[in-house]
Amino acid sequence: MKTLFADKSFAALIALCAAAVIVIALFGGTSLLTPYMVNAIGQLAAFAILAVSLDLIWGYLGILSLGHGLFFAIGGYVAAMHLLKHSYEVTGIVPDFMQFMGWKEFPLYWAGLSNFPYALLLALGVTAIVAFVFGYVSFRSKVGGVYFAIISQALVYVAMLLMFRNDTGFGGNNGMTGFSLVFGWPVGQAGTLIGMAVVSIVVLIAVLIGCRLLVTSRTGRMMVAARDDEVRLRSLGYGTLWLKLAIWCLSAVIAAIAGILYVPQVGIINPRVLSPELSLEIAVWVAVGGRGYLTGAVIGALAVNALKFWLSAAAPEVWPFILSGLVVLIVLVFPNGLLDLAGLKWKPRLLSSMGGAK
Amino acid sequence: MIRPLILGWLFAVAVATGASAQSPGRAELIAGLCGNAAATGDAGNRILASAGQPDAAELPWMETVTSALLDRQLKCAADPGQTVVDGGGAVRNAVTLEPASAPDQPKVPVLNLKNRAVFELAQSALRLRVGATPSVRRQALTALGRKAASVPVEVFEQAAAGESDAGLKAEIESTAQISALNSPDIAKRIAAVERLASTPNRRVQTQIAALLADPAYKSDQKFRLAVDAALIKVGQGILLGDVLSTLYNGLSFASILFMAAIGLSVIFGLMGVINLAQGELIMIGAYVTWLTQEALKSIAPGLADYYLFIAVVPAFLVTAGIGVLLEATILRHLYKRPLMSLLATWAISLFLINLVRVSFGTQNLQFLTPFYISGGVPVVGDFIVTWNRLFAIAFAAITLALTWFVVNRTGLGLNIRAVTQNRDMAGCIGIPTRKIDMMAFGLGSGLAGLAGLSLSPIYNVNPQMGGNFIIDSFMVVVLGGVGTIGGTLVAALGVGQVNVLIEPLWGAVAAKVIVLFLIIAFLQWRPEGLFTAKGRRR
Repeated sequence: MKTLFADKSFAALIALCAAAVIVIALFGGTSLLTPYMVNAIGQLAAFAILAVSLDLIWGYLGILSLGHGLFFAIGGYVAAMHLLKHSYEVTGIVPDFMQFMGWKEFPLYWAGLSNFPYALLLALGVTAIVAFVFGYVSFRSKVGGVYFAIISQALVYVAMLLMFRNDTGFGGNNGMTGFSLVFGWPVGQAGTLIGMAVVSIVVLIAVLIGCRLLVTSRTGRMMVAARDDEVRLRSLGYGTLWLKLAIWCLSAVIAAIAGILYVPQVGIINPRVLSPELSLEIAVWVAVGGRGYLTGAVIGALAVNALKFWLSAAAPEVWPFILSGLVVLIVLVFPNGLLDLAGLKWKPRLLSSMGGAK
Repeated sequence: MIRPLILGWLFAVAVATGASAQSPGRAELIAGLCGNAAATGDAGNRILASAGQPDAAELPWMETVTSALLDRQLKCAADPGQTVVDGGGAVRNAVTLEPASAPDQPKVPVLNLKNRAVFELAQSALRLRVGATPSVRRQALTALGRKAASVPVEVFEQAAAGESDAGLKAEIESTAQISALNSPDIAKRIAAVERLASTPNRRVQTQIAALLADPAYKSDQKFRLAVDAALIKVGQGILLGDVLSTLYNGLSFASILFMAAIGLSVIFGLMGVINLAQGELIMIGAYVTWLTQEALKSIAPGLADYYLFIAVVPAFLVTAGIGVLLEATILRHLYKRPLMSLLATWAISLFLINLVRVSFGTQNLQFLTPFYISGGVPVVGDFIVTWNRLFAIAFAAITLALTWFVVNRTGLGLNIRAVTQNRDMAGCIGIPTRKIDMMAFGLGSGLAGLAGLSLSPIYNVNPQMGGNFIIDSFMVVVLGGVGTIGGTLVAALGVGQVNVLIEPLWGAVAAKVIVLFLIIAFLQWRPEGLFTAKGRRR
């Protein structure tokens, strides 16, 4: 416990999350905290988890993935399939995309998805397999740095093209929507929204604590060493392939969990989550908040998304300019993100400096 | 069918034998036109048949009376010699076309549907022979083409022989072949089949395949053999055409990819920076091309057609200038942090897209299609060398040559290569590495602008267009290896060809998926790409 909460900003973040859970549980649905706001907080929590997943490999292992939207989307799509199948079995409403394609029956690979444990296992399993295969072929041939970023971006782009097709049984370009029930509760109801938001924040707390334990462990030190000088680590006799592969798969699975939490709250999934822009935005959240700090990733996700929620409603024309200006500013002036700005720089005693991150 | 032909022949002979014969022939024909329905029909068929005679002297007269009949301007008198053509502001004797006075109580013949069709055909046939302008003749040919089977082959043969417009002549010949296919003379049909087979394409294939159901195919062995042989020949021609066409499309796609990737590759090789804004520099190159075109339209309309050549300089300079500016203000600070430079260049691309969107709107730009890139030359089968794609290919080839020259034969290129191989050592021997970086970034950006110029006649130009090329061109750079022109060329050709080879089989999406997996698999074997720059890298 002592190492876990040794970092004050981390402890504060966990406390804040716990407080959010209590506040939502107590006041959610009242005029003080409308269901809309609860829902927004829940979505932000899902984005925060996604940001933490990218920070884990980028901030601590130096591997930038511009394709993390892929894993987020796998989780999201399986969650959507589960919700549709579940809704269909209870209400008998045939999903839109099947009516659109004129299909009478669910495709074969939809079998059993109304069972949540199976759906969860499938989402995480598929994510882990995809991440493993892609990670193995990349890390084995020492594809890293910019190459890896570009190929992961191409991967998510190709996945987007694939999902835009209507005959794949995943909803095509319209995606999947019209979920009516989550575990038997009606989706739009305040109680359900509060439940989903609370679950998202609790999962965020769990992910944060788990990642914190990981990065302060011996493995965490190995990760930072591999990030700062992989060649030296290898010459000292440590293999980096399986270390990188394991963290990569873990990161992908966390991203999938974020997707699973995100889709029921937002009520729709379509191939746009696979667009290279979204995956790049995840990297922007992390960079804005502060790479290599779990707290930074969460703060970045919250700050950028809050700004986006606000500006894309208030001044949609200006938002892209603000975003690009923000990124250039962060990259040039505050390479460690908002944490630099706030002076909350977390100085790890055993870990080397962050400046060498590639 | 036979009688009118014979009559027509007799008439033709009569006309051909001498000018003195013309008046009795004309009077006889006028009598037919003014006679009952059967006589009118006979006369129509005679006119149609004579439209194919070699001597064109009598045809303008026939055209006049036929048109007069169709327009109900032929006014018949009891004596054919008194019949007049009353139209075009004058009354003329129908036989001599001299001015005359209208007869008392003229009869205006009315054509029945069957005869009207015959006369319309005859009119088109006559106009094809003696129409005053190519457009009149072309119109007549279109009308005839619909009923090519009922037109005597000689009409087309004679018309083709006398035609001065080369394009129209080719069209007439092609229609003539279709007509000959249905000629009653089997030898002519065989000849027509063989002639058709010499220009294989899908239309010809359908035409010849239709002959399989022809009674002559069963009854006449020679005809059957000719049709079978022609089908095989046409099939081979179409296959060859398709293969060439695929290769050509692949080459043109590859040339675009090459243009998009070469700048990326130079920058990446030198600084290890992948410029995610490269697609937007392409877009800006296309916009500068458009602006040049618009400026030429208002300043020098005569030169507007040549905007693709004139825009080369501004497209290169503007994008190169943007590149230099970006390098000097932003990327300069990020060489030690290539991953951060990804984010920065992405932000720049976002900025440029939205800047262009706000200033120009999101709609596709309208480009002129100058004469030198419109149309194409049919080569074999359905393979057409289209000028717009050839332009892109030629443009890429010239760019390749110039880039190669700059990199391998100039002082700047020497310095670029030195800094690419070993930045520190190059700095130690006095090469201004920072300045070289800036100029190379400008060069790479300018090449992207040229890519935008070369693809503007082929692709849609709008603010989002950069995204369509950028991932493909990244793949080319990753596959080709850093900073080598040869690698970029080979990779672009490979990716382009594989894309167009897979596309017809499984679709465009599958092509992208397969290309990506092929590249990932390839990197297992050569992680540094096809051609690695020689030298010590980090």
